[in-house]
Amino acid sequence: MKVLGKIFKVSGLLLVVVAVSLSKAQAAPKKSGLTVSSTQSPQISQPAPDPMSSPIGFKVKTPDEETGISWLGMGIAFFLIIGGILFWANDVQSFAGILFVLGLFAGFLASGQRHYYHYFANNQGYAPQQPISYPHVLHAGKLKIACLYCHYNAEKSDVASIPSVNVCMNCHSLVRSATGDSGPNPEISKLVKAWESRDSNAPSPVEWERVNKLPSFVRFSHRIHVANGIACQECHGPIQTMTRVRQASPLNMGWCVNCHRLTKKEAPAHWKHAGGPLDCIVCHH
Amino acid sequence: MPSLKEKKIDTALKTGLTRGDFLKTMGVGLAALGGACDWRWPHAKAVPEIDRPEGVTPGVARWQASTCGGCSASCGALVKIRDGRPIKMEGLKKHPLSQGGLCARGQATLLDLYDSGRLKDPLLSGKKVSWADWDKAVVAKMKSLRGKQVRLVTQTLPNPSLNAAIAEFLNANPSIKHVVYDPISSSSILDAHQKTHGKRVLPHYQFAKAKAIVGFDADFLGTWISPVEFASDWAKGRVPTSGSPKMSRHIHFEPRVSLTGSNADLRVPIKPSEEYSTVASVAIRLAKILGTVVPHVGEVSTTASSESLDQAAQILAQHKKEGLVVSGSSDLSVQILVNWMNSVLGNYGNTLDIQKPSLVRSGSETGMEEFVKEAISGRIAGVIFVEANPVYDHPLGEELAKALSKMEMVVSLSNRLDETASHAPFVAADSHPLESWGDAEPVPGVITIVQPAIRPLFNSRPAMETLLALAGKTQSAYDFVRAYWKSHVFPKQKSSHNFDHFWDASLESGVASYEAPSLSHTSFSSAALAEVKNSRPKVKEGDFEFVAYSPINLYDGHQAFNPWLEELPDPVTRVSWENYVQFSPADAKRLGIVEGRMVRVSSGKKSFEIPAQIQLGMPEGVVAAALGYGRITADDIAANYPITKIKFFPVKIATLHTANVYPFLNSSLVSVAAGEKIHPLAKIQRYDFQRDPYLQDKRHALREETLEEYAKNASGGGSSSGADSGDGLWDKHEYPGHKWAMSVDLNRCSGCAACVIACQAENNIPTVGKSEVRKSRDMYWIRIDRYYSGSETNAPQNPTVAFQPMTCQQCDNAPCETVCPVAATTHSSEGINMQTYNRCVGTRYCENNCPYKVRRFNWFDYDRDDAVQDLVLNPDVTVRQRGVMEKCNFCYQRIRDVEITTQIENRKIHDGEVQPACVQSCPTQALVFGDINDSNSQVASKAVSTRVYRALEELGVKPSIYYQTKVRNVKS
Repeated sequence: MKVLGKIFKVSGLLLVVVAVSLSKAQAAPKKSGLTVSSTQSPQISQPAPDPMSSPIGFKVKTPDEETGISWLGMGIAFFLIIGGILFWANDVQSFAGILFVLGLFAGFLASGQRHYYHYFANNQGYAPQQPISYPHVLHAGKLKIACLYCHYNAEKSDVASIPSVNVCMNCHSLVRSATGDSGPNPEISKLVKAWESRDSNAPSPVEWERVNKLPSFVRFSHRIHVANGIACQECHGPIQTMTRVRQASPLNMGWCVNCHRLTKKEAPAHWKHAGGPLDCIVCHH
Repeated sequence: MPSLKEKKIDTALKTGLTRGDFLKTMGVGLAALGGACDWRWPHAKAVPEIDRPEGVTPGVARWQASTCGGCSASCGALVKIRDGRPIKMEGLKKHPLSQGGLCARGQATLLDLYDSGRLKDPLLSGKKVSWADWDKAVVAKMKSLRGKQVRLVTQTLPNPSLNAAIAEFLNANPSIKHVVYDPISSSSILDAHQKTHGKRVLPHYQFAKAKAIVGFDADFLGTWISPVEFASDWAKGRVPTSGSPKMSRHIHFEPRVSLTGSNADLRVPIKPSEEYSTVASVAIRLAKILGTVVPHVGEVSTTASSESLDQAAQILAQHKKEGLVVSGSSDLSVQILVNWMNSVLGNYGNTLDIQKPSLVRSGSETGMEEFVKEAISGRIAGVIFVEANPVYDHPLGEELAKALSKMEMVVSLSNRLDETASHAPFVAADSHPLESWGDAEPVPGVITIVQPAIRPLFNSRPAMETLLALAGKTQSAYDFVRAYWKSHVFPKQKSSHNFDHFWDASLESGVASYEAPSLSHTSFSSAALAEVKNSRPKVKEGDFEFVAYSPINLYDGHQAFNPWLEELPDPVTRVSWENYVQFSPADAKRLGIVEGRMVRVSSGKKSFEIPAQIQLGMPEGVVAAALGYGRITADDIAANYPITKIKFFPVKIATLHTANVYPFLNSSLVSVAAGEKIHPLAKIQRYDFQRDPYLQDKRHALREETLEEYAKNASGGGSSSGADSGDGLWDKHEYPGHKWAMSVDLNRCSGCAACVIACQAENNIPTVGKSEVRKSRDMYWIRIDRYYSGSETNAPQNPTVAFQPMTCQQCDNAPCETVCPVAATTHSSEGINMQTYNRCVGTRYCENNCPYKVRRFNWFDYDRDDAVQDLVLNPDVTVRQRGVMEKCNFCYQRIRDVEITTQIENRKIHDGEVQPACVQSCPTQALVFGDINDSNSQVASKAVSTRVYRALEELGVKPSIYYQTKVRNVKS
């Protein structure tokens, strides 16, 4: 019987070793973004280094893209459940109970039901590699192109939308390299390639990685927020300083509602209306 | 009892692991778990266009005027296009005939577009080929058949450009003859007018002007000729107000219980064999009242009470020039008598127009029969079917199929490999109306445009282009339609001098009108009257009379592959998914038939076996069955429709028993044999039988009264016993801004179910399949309840039928809100009961506590596996997952859209600017929606009208839906 305890200890430690060896430990992102205070207009803090890691700090292995199942997670769940059964069989119900609960939880997380993940974590800090490494820091920061020049839908539509290639080509039909480059910039060349494929039999649009994403049961309208005078940066962070776009805000409900609750006194002076509607159905319908 | 310490030691001794050790291991294990799982949300791509077309804004819907392609009635349609795909069909307000409504079938044509079972390529002997090869092969084949008998078979096409294309085709191939037929035919009306008025025309009925309507089996509110237009017009005369408590009088004689009969003031069941006698009896009585020559009609005998016949004659005589007699009969004698009545009453030129007749039916039964017989005898060498499927929808379809296999050339222009196309070596994949250019002219002078809302999803081609290509003129449908309008429509109209302006304006409004020349015709020729006779065969003992009717969901069957329509229940029988034989209760008792018992109906060698349905109001000795069912492969699709996403568990798929009734279209007598098996029907509403003698039980969900009562006491729905019992325990809600409310006029509502499909399309409501419907797990947010009522003398054999649209009542004191343990359903500041899906844990307490039974629970993740079909989903509405409750929210997405727009534009919302899907679609404008806090709004005035009541208001739940009591124009 004492063997059971030993097996449990050893295999538990083994599991940790496996998990750590598979993971690529990286520094967790520093919190950055925006603070809204009642007296000042929004302050934009210093940009953080470009984070790629998950908020927890580990990124082990992308689960199977097809099924979404994390087999390592499944292994852990299996281990926990077996442990629970062994403890139960040996009449140590208190340990067994904990193991069963954790085992089921682990199994649930690992089973690929990823649309439930918003219950446990938000995607703040997510900054995927894009097919064209488009630097906002150059366009919006240095060149001071207005956000709405490219994302012109933000004031007309619920979705801000990523600009279509023809918008890029307004300038890039002439601009083919960054100042000081000798030849054409390889990133701009990708854009031109996409543009030239527009009338071909196999058009190849730019497939951007989506950064800011809400769960499917949330409706959000850009146009009303833009019309109320809310600056892009108030939600999207200091976008004009980002070389690669990351999700600056948690985009969870508490974060949304914090602004919707602001009274006239508390709200920043440049907002046309203080706060927003608080009925559930406004966003959930 | 060991102490805690002893227990700890015991555990440690047993396992060799102290509690501390265990927790440490668990802690590290958990950390590993956290790391091992990728907590990232699923990856998503965002792919913008390369070159975004002008005027296209992602996330903003574009509305485009077009014409509904559901049937030949050609109602005006407004197509909502979101991110490049049409996601909703609505009625076009500017259309002079349909006037803003669109029926259930019309709205469901949208789902036909996204049918992955459509033909995806042209076929040559079953093999995919390119269009060029296909054209070459067919042209070569047609050349080889020069001089031989070749036919072009179509249904009635009220489409001027398509007809011009057919003319081009026939010009190029002068030996080909054109045969026109209609599966749901009005041939007898056309032929009768040939005899009586010298022109083979279908009158344009104008129900709006009719103050007295006598119908003989013409389901003009459901399926007859142009139901949206008729329903809209009919409703105009049905609304008494306190100022003028008057309404039209409507008497209906019919051999089954139809939507129209149910809405009539007086519904008289008659046998089909008595149709002639009944019409003749009314005609004789009318002649006597008017003092004209009594037409010679021969011997008549009918079971219809002489009272009802007298009444029919009287109301017609009282409303000369303002009455209307209509009949859907296929008996020429009946139609001649009907014409005579309309003629002596002076209705022609007033309520019927034959100078500008309706163009939506021109098919000839005799012409088609001649063709089929010639084909069977082998005299025809080739045939081209254009969007026609006579193998399925002609009584001699089976024989025709055999003949087709012997022909040298069979070409079918079809959108799927249907019964006819599967016999054709040459099959052209036809485009959906939402993918093609075209036009329609249902009445001379009213011409509408059909414009594509999406590029063809598959390698299909509109019939117009195919015909032109076969005529040797390769031209796009757009060019052809535009050229046709330039040469034929533009010169006739007077609104514009510049064709480009006229064309653009027509595209924008969807409708163009011009002054069409009046058709000349002779006045009523009494010679025709001499021919009338009772031609129905005598009924033998033991035989049943048979009625084949077109149901409001499947109509003629060409939309049988549409899950929305398959699941849509019949308004009266409330059965979905299948067709069935309807029996009167007396006959059922005599034959020992219970609901669902399989019944074999046979006539000669033909027979079919489907379940029985016992229907109150059916005349004795008559059985009825719906057309449109029993199509090849449709049953497979329908049966496979239930949930496919229940992982790990086998799903019991319900079998369907449907039959094609078209072979029986002309069989008046059948024999009936009850089978052994019982096949349960799927009903949306299970409770059929009337409760108290007065049937409406004491709780007043639906209120009815007579016009006399109404006039006497214009204080509305009966007694005030059901008055609101005050606020009770709850604090009053405050509605500082808007307070949304709806009014439902039960006098206008015909129960046509347009709102049900509108809601389904707008709110991503799943179809659940037959087995789930049987468990009362249908997902409709709005349903039409059917109530039976009547006096002791005629009930229960012939109850009065009434319909009530029932949706979430958005109660102020909502019973559902107080029982939710997780506050997933709460009250909004605008009076809406909010249902927050992501908060719901699925206890279903709310469903149990709702007195209206309007909440719906997602038992499963319903089928969303068909990627093509999923294109129909509305991106503004959450697709609900398994385990959550849902219900009507007054189409909040539409409210919010208007609220945002008006806030940006810094103005107030106009009354009528917000319209939920059901309100928009209603052909009779029975539903009115608005802000009741705005005292000038239409709904606010309806809320204090003399007929207003709220369903079950005695419960004190304070609903936000205001019903207008149903008033019938009968003597109390």
